[in-house]
Amino acid sequence: MAKRTIGYFLAIVGAVFASQALANEDAPITGTVESKCVIFTETQGVYGTPLASRLSTAAADGGVQPIIRYDVALADAFKGKITFPSEFSSSPSLTDTQTFTGNVEVHSVSDVGMADYDTNKITFNNTHEYDLTVAGTTKFKISSQVDYGNSKPFPAGTYTTLVNAECIAK
Amino acid sequence: MRIVILAAALLFSFSAAAHEMTPAYLKITPSEVTDVYATEISMLNRRSDVDYYQISVFDGEWNRLPFASFQRLFKLPYSKRKSIKIYFQKEVANKVVYVCTKSKLYKGAGTFVSSRICSKVKR
Repeated sequence: MAKRTIGYFLAIVGAVFASQALANEDAPITGTVESKCVIFTETQGVYGTPLASRLSTAAADGGVQPIIRYDVALADAFKGKITFPSEFSSSPSLTDTQTFTGNVEVHSVSDVGMADYDTNKITFNNTHEYDLTVAGTTKFKISSQVDYGNSKPFPAGTYTTLVNAECIAK
Repeated sequence: MRIVILAAALLFSFSAAAHEMTPAYLKITPSEVTDVYATEISMLNRRSDVDYYQISVFDGEWNRLPFASFQRLFKLPYSKRKSIKIYFQKEVANKVVYVCTKSKLYKGAGTFVSSRICSKVKR
């Protein structure tokens, strides 16, 4: 009788552990990848001063080109628009004209399908618009140069301009 | 001058930072108030140089549309996520195409990049 009771007990305990083991095996891990576009500022820009009258992000001029990364989780769902600076967002008082020039180019890509992004981009004013047709990562580098009127030296102080990076769902 | 520019800018030069907004495609649904419609966005701020973001709403021609939200200009500390409800009047809800968030930068902070992400209402 006692042996039978112990046998039932062990059977029940075994069944409980077995069911737990089964439950653990079935524990689900779920995740959702949303269709999204994320804008990363990989490198903020720095102006160098190759001339007293010029600010430039070119490495040869002592500057650093800003690099912006777009991560797109869904192909052909977003447009990337990058606008290089056309004015100072902050600067010392300036009495003469400033001439802004610049460019936006693809720096690196995660997929060969992105190789034509520069060829296919639309450019208007200072804005370069890219059709992000492939899912993955694209890095863009922006160049900016500012020349002060009549080759005058820039007044001493901190100069800041803005690159506008946009990602718009299509 | 060279030193001033470099010092201010180098502080922000070499750090990856991100502006993230979901979903890419929004749904506008009736809210709990009659004739008021709503949608919801989720924001994640991984830009350590940005504390504030601003919401804007546009139609298909990029004309601004009126909307209501408790957080039109909202603070979102670094690495924090926030869900925001946006409300529209019935006649506006039919015109909404883009809902955008834009980073707000401190003047003279040396920040070089302003970011804007726009989600779309697909009809």
